[in-house]
Parts: sequence; structure tokens; C-alpha cells
Amino acid sequence: MKSVIRFTLALCASAFLSAALAQVPAGYPADYAAIVAAAKQEGKVRIYGATDTAAATPLIKDFEALYPGVKVEYSDMNTTELYNRVISEKAAGGTSGDVFWSSSMDLQIKLVNDGFALTYKSPEVAKLPDWAIWRNEGYGTTYEPIVFLYNKRLLKAEEVPQSHAELAKVLSTNAERFKGKITSYDIEKSGVGFLLITQDAKINPVFWDLAKAIGGASPRFQSSSGTMMERISSGENLLGFNIIGSYALLRAKKDPSFGIVMPKDYTLVMSRIMFISKTAQNSNAAKLWLDYILSKRGQTIIANQSELGSIRADVEGDLTAHGLAKTLGNALKPIQVGPGLLTYLDQAKRLEFIKQWQQTAAARK
Amino acid sequence: MSAYAATAPSGGRRFSGGQWLRGGVISIMALAVSAPLLLILYQSLLDAPFFDTAAKSGVGAYRFIFDDPDFWMAVKNSCIIATSMAAIAVPLGAILAFLMVRTDLPGQRWIEPLLLIPVFVSPMVLSFGYVVATGPVGFYSLWFSGIFGGVPWNVYSISSIAVIAGLTHVPHVYLYASAALKSLGSDVEEAARMSGASPLRVALDVSLPMIMPALLFSGVLVFFLGFEIFGLALVLGDPEGHLVLATYLYKLTNKLGTPSYHLMAAVAMCIIAITVPLVMLQRHLMKNAAKFVAVKGKAGRQRPLPLGPWRWLATALIALWLILTVIVPLSGIALRSVVNYWGEGVILSEVLTLDHFRTVFDQPALMRGVWNTLLIGVIGGGLAVACYTAIGFATHRRPDGWSRFVDYLVLVPRAVPGLLAGLAFLWVFLFIPFLSPLRSTIFAVWIAYTVVWLAYGMRLVSSSLLQVGAELEEAARSAGASRSRTSRDVTLPLIRHGLLASWLLIFMIFEREYSTAVYLLSPGTEVIGSLLVSLWATGGADMVAALSVINVVLVGIGLGVALRFGVKLHD
Repeated sequence: MKSVIRFTLALCASAFLSAALAQVPAGYPADYAAIVAAAKQEGKVRIYGATDTAAATPLIKDFEALYPGVKVEYSDMNTTELYNRVISEKAAGGTSGDVFWSSSMDLQIKLVNDGFALTYKSPEVAKLPDWAIWRNEGYGTTYEPIVFLYNKRLLKAEEVPQSHAELAKVLSTNAERFKGKITSYDIEKSGVGFLLITQDAKINPVFWDLAKAIGGASPRFQSSSGTMMERISSGENLLGFNIIGSYALLRAKKDPSFGIVMPKDYTLVMSRIMFISKTAQNSNAAKLWLDYILSKRGQTIIANQSELGSIRADVEGDLTAHGLAKTLGNALKPIQVGPGLLTYLDQAKRLEFIKQWQQTAAARK
Repeated sequence: MSAYAATAPSGGRRFSGGQWLRGGVISIMALAVSAPLLLILYQSLLDAPFFDTAAKSGVGAYRFIFDDPDFWMAVKNSCIIATSMAAIAVPLGAILAFLMVRTDLPGQRWIEPLLLIPVFVSPMVLSFGYVVATGPVGFYSLWFSGIFGGVPWNVYSISSIAVIAGLTHVPHVYLYASAALKSLGSDVEEAARMSGASPLRVALDVSLPMIMPALLFSGVLVFFLGFEIFGLALVLGDPEGHLVLATYLYKLTNKLGTPSYHLMAAVAMCIIAITVPLVMLQRHLMKNAAKFVAVKGKAGRQRPLPLGPWRWLATALIALWLILTVIVPLSGIALRSVVNYWGEGVILSEVLTLDHFRTVFDQPALMRGVWNTLLIGVIGGGLAVACYTAIGFATHRRPDGWSRFVDYLVLVPRAVPGLLAGLAFLWVFLFIPFLSPLRSTIFAVWIAYTVVWLAYGMRLVSSSLLQVGAELEEAARSAGASRSRTSRDVTLPLIRHGLLASWLLIFMIFEREYSTAVYLLSPGTEVIGSLLVSLWATGGADMVAALSVINVVLVGIGLGVALRFGVKLHD
């Protein structure tokens, strides 16, 4: 009798184990099965994301198909809200998200540095570029070029600047044409806008000349990319700079008014940073999700369905690190995922930069 | 009134059931209002988030904003906007109310729902509509400049913002004024008209002075709302850098990189400091409220005044206002929802599409948002009015310290911009243990909405209450009815139209609220307002337009049904 029980137990255990093993992705360590099994016990993963639900949905569906029994609860919120919720929920000690995924790279790294992240070395690490990993805690997950966006109906091809240097030239030689028609982020209101402009200042040796040229054209600064794109599409503004390429490409598919330029001298590349919460209740499911997002399968969907761009060299497509490198080569400047992002979270430095930018580039009222 | 007060059982003797009830209502309300508020005050005196163990106290936050020239610019702009709003909305709202309630203006039945549209459309949507319709390359601007060679307006200027804000707040005044007018007998007006006064003269010299309490309340409230204007100033003020207090506060969210709660809280305290004197002023004006009592035991029937030839002028006035405030922005947004793109050089007939609506119907999160919005509007709105009425009764005809306390308290939440109030409520739900299970339910959103719009609902309820003559209640009391019995069987039935109108108003307000719920939302409890905000930020202008149109249509249907079956605005 005893042996029967033992046999049944062994049978169950092996069935369970093999079922789990069947799902361990190729090339992952064998003990990954334990994570998969534990994740199924947890049954769900809670994600706070600043990526809108429409873009996240294909990933969620595919993940749930890959790991049946692990449900994704995705909360779509903006970057500031996400940061606020993470820090207040941690302080209150109640339930919070398991995975945080945001395009606000500096705030994400601040959270990581402030000890909010779980250290976890993803099995995918070897396939990722170095710049996209910080301390095996924060991971860059997307590859989004920062572009010029212009109105094709109203701007002739030869009028369109192809680089930052040309932008400065066009604006200073043809100021009347572009007066009140240039748009970009209001860096005081938009954290992403601030991050991008400071990266510009770091990379572009003649950045302040460009800023001066922009200021001469009475630019119209907006707080979100939605407002900028709408106004470029309508022709109220002719050209926008520092537009997040993934959003622009998505809209350009439906709207033939949009022309996109990846600046030839340098094209910044932004990457949404993801990390697992140190206090995650569903830490195993969270690991599955992170690994899935970084995997070839997840990145293929990111590039082709979510339109956010893949960081992996082995994923093909127009909007991937691989595809963009063919045309832009070394001009691609990914923003390093790491503590360099924290420079301007220092209040004095930040205010100083804002002041200088406003004195140079803000519309002369 | 003094005789009445003397016969009422005094609080000192012993606590009856009614008094316990009153105490309970006042304490719950005081708690709901003061918890988030004290949190904001406390936060404004720190230099980091209050839950950060490294936070130190001090007045650095105030020093920072007072040193910031942007703050003073925002104060100036807010004052301009609030003043012009009151100057535009109060006279127009009062005249509209007079025309709609008191005269034989043609087509009142279908004009009335149109009048209310600006209230239930989110200001974000309305301003987006103005950009699409009257911006530099808007539908109407292009059409206008095609004929006249240019447009005389600039929709992004501070004066445009002030005028639009004024025009869109006319319905607020209209609702208060018409509710008050409806409960007045028309005998005095008829007398004036028979003695040869023109309808305008009747309106200015007879009807409107009689509803002074409602006009003062709504005037002060519109002035408040002027300091709270957010969406309009955000969309229309952004391109030329015009700041108002609420957008300045919003700007502080990101100015220092990490959200600066202490600075935001300090700005909120400044806004409160501006509004508190207003409440005092209002109370001073209202000291003699009793002289306005006009529903007497023998109130006569209301008969509409014949307008005669004036009707054309009146119709033209209403039509002009409707065109500017409703038709221009909403046709803009409606047109935007069925085109792929728009603007200079676009032939609209070539870009028509219904795809945006298909996308909305295909996305479960968006559809859930639509249902939740209806739920919180209809059921949440009804519950909120019940709460407001309970508070109204707790202070009705009790000119004591508690009533004064309540009067001040109700006006304060509205002074805190919705976004920050929402954040404060998140903190309350997070850090008060027994409340935390509520956080991820729609109930949390309801509490936040109810508290944030307290001033609004309370004024409507108490305007109605003020119109009930004390002698009606005194009669019931002399016949031996208890205070609560009197409230239930005499006062409540008399103010039922006012209550239904407030339900309608609150329903519409809850439908369009967009900032308060942002921090409280979790999956499954989306509402249209917050979906609009998040879609707008990532560039989904197509979805924003489609969802706005759906919102307007749904509320329109709801309003139509309410008018047709239950709620009678005309009686």
C-alpha cells in the first residue's frame, strides 16, 4: 500500500516537473522550471506600465499563451503617477506592483538606486547590449529613436533639415518661414523632454547655438507628445524635434501628413526601463515577465506589433537596433541605462539648466 | 426665526436621536474634508514627501514659490480669469435662467439640455475642440480667413481663455438661478409686467433681485472655479506659455525632476488662502438670507411672461451663446473624431473614417471605462446628493457655531485642484489602515469625487433649502412633529425639484471629472476622464476625439431619458 502511494506521488511529481520543464525556454538553465512552477502558484503578475495598453496588449496575450495560468494585471498610468504610486505604496507597506515599466528613464534609475529593485540576472543578459543593463536590476527593454517630425503637405522635401546642424542652419537663415511653427517638449512640464534635451546638450558640441536658433523662431513648447503630433499634423506647427519615434511611426501609418527624419549627425535612442520590485508579492511571475520581454520572442512582438523597437541584435525589422544600424550606423546614440541619468535630478543643477535653456531657446515674448 | 430658534430643543439639554444623527453627519463630513486637507498643510511645511523619513520641516517650499516669477505671473492670470469668468457668467446665467424659467421663449424644452452641455464635457475636451475649430488652422479659422483674409482672434491668448472660461461657466450660474426662480411665485413679476415694465426691466428689477442668494452663491463659486481652471489653461495656455495657478502647480510636478509634493502643497495652500476670505465675504453678504424667503404657504402658480417682440432678441442671444460655447467646440471635436487628420491643405471629404470608433469598441479597457463612468455618474451621483442633503439638513435653520463651521468647511475642498486632491486621497487611503481595502474599488473614487464637489452640491441643496419659508416648518413643529419628522415630511418634499436638479448636475460633473481619479484608478475601475488624460499624453488624439464624442452622446442620452421620464426641470 505504502509503495502504491509512494509510486503515485512520484508519478505526480514527475508529471508536474516535466510539465514545467516543457515550458522552460531553450537555452535557459534547468532550474528555471522551479521559477515557472512557483509563478504558476502565484497565478498572476501585477505590472505598472507607462506604455499604453494598446501597445502592451499583444505582449500580454502572448505571455499568457506562453505561460498558461499566469495572468497579467496591467495598470496603464503616466510616468509621474507611476513614480508617485511606487514610492507612496512602498512607504505605506500595502500591496503594490510586481514589475515597473516606464519611459521616464531617470526616475526609473532613481527608484533602482533608492533600493526599490530586486537584483535578478536575466538569462537573456548575454543577448542584450551593455548600455541597456544597470546592476542586473534595471533593464532597457525598447529601442526608440528620437526624431524630427514634420508636416509633409506644407514643408517641401528640400526645406526639411536632415541633422541637428541643418536644423540650426535652416532656422537661422529662414527664421520667418518657421516663426511660431517649431515645436518640442516644454522641459519644465515634461520629464522626458528634459531628459532628451540634456542628452542633446551632452552629445552636441554646438548645442547652445542650436538652442539660440530655436529661440529665434519663437518655438511653441508643449507638455506632451500627443499635443505636438496633433499640431504638426494639422499644420499649425511645421516641424517638431525630440519626438519619440515609436509614437510618431505609429501615427504616420494612419496619417500621411507626417514625415519623419532620423537626424544624420546623431539620433538619440530612448529605452523603456523595466525592473522587478524588491517587495514583489509575485516575484517569480515577475521574473518570467521580465525574461519574456527581453527574450527574442517578446522583442519580436515589441518590434513588430507594439512598435516600440527591439534592443536585440538578433531581431529583424525596420524598427530594431539591427535595422536602424544599417542606415544610421554610429550616429545612433542610445541613452545609457545607469546612474548618469541622475545628474539632473539634483535640484540646483536642474534649475540652472532650465534657466539657461529658457533664456536661450524660449520664445521671445 | 428667533421665536423658532427659541422653541427648538437646545443642544445643552439632552441628546435626542436627531442630534446624534446631526453630530454624526457633521463629524463624518469634517473628517472626510479635513483628513486630506491637513495632510496637504503638513506636507507644505516639509522639504520632502511626508512619508520620507529624511523629511525636515521648514518654510522652504513657500520661499521657493514666492521667489519664482512664474508663480506671480500665474497669480495675476488666475485673478484676471476668475474676475472675467464671474463678470461674464453671472449676468448671462441669470438672464438665461430668467428667459428659460419665466418667459414664453419658444423651444425651451429642447434648449435646456443644450444649455447644460458645457458642464458635462471635460474642459480638456472642450479646449481641444476649440483648438480644432478655432485654432490657427482650425476648421472655422480656415473657413473664416478664406472669406475675410484672416482671423481677428487668437485662441491661445489669455483673454480668449478668460472669455471661453466665462462662457462655459454660464450653465453653473444658470442652474442655481433657475432652481431658485422655479420655487418663486410669479405674482410679483406679473404685477410689474402689467404696470408696463419691459421683460428686461422685470428681469433686472424684480426677478433677479429675488434670487440674489443663488446669484451670490454661484458668483462666488464661479470665482472659485476660476482659480481652479486647469484643462482649459493647459491646452490653450501651453503654446504661448500662459500659466495659471493650477497649471503652475502641475508644472511643479516635473520641474525638479522628481515630483515636488511640498511645492505643490504650498501652492495649494496659497489657493486656499485666496478662497477663505471669499467665503467670509460670502457669509457677510448672506447674513440677511431670511429677507429673500419667497416660497410662502400661499405661493401662487407660475405663469410665463409674454416676451412680445423681445423674443427675437432673446432667441438671438441664446443662439449666439450656444454657437460659441457648444456648437463650435463640439462640432470641432465631432469632426475630428471622423477624420484621420486635418488642418491646412487637407480636403476633409477625402479623410473621413469611422476607424477611431471601431478601435474604441474593440478595446475592453476603453469600454469598461465607458460603463464605469455611467455607474459613478448615475448611482454615485445619487448617493452624493443624499450625503449633501444630509449635511444640508444638519445645518438648516440652526444658526449656531456648528453650522458656521460646516459652511466654511464645505467650500475648502474645491479650492484644492483636483489632481492634488486625488493625490491626497491616495495618501489617505494608503496610510489610514482601515480604509486601505477600499483603495482599489470604485468606492474610493466615489468618496474623492463626493468630497471634491462638496461645495458645489451643498450650494445647490442649501439654495433650495433657503427658499422654503420658515413658517411652513414652524407649523409642523407647532403641530407636534419632531425636527426630523418636519425635515422628512415638510422640507424634503418641498425641495425635491432642487434635489433632482442637483442629482442631474452632480451626474454631469462626475461624468466629466478627469483629474481627481487619476491616482485612485486601478484596472477595472477606469473612467473616461482619466482614459482621456492618458491617451492624450501618448498621442492618441484619434481615440480622445472618439471617446469624447461617445461620452457626450452617452450623457446626452442619459439627460434625455432623465428629462423625459423622471426629472422634470419644468414644472
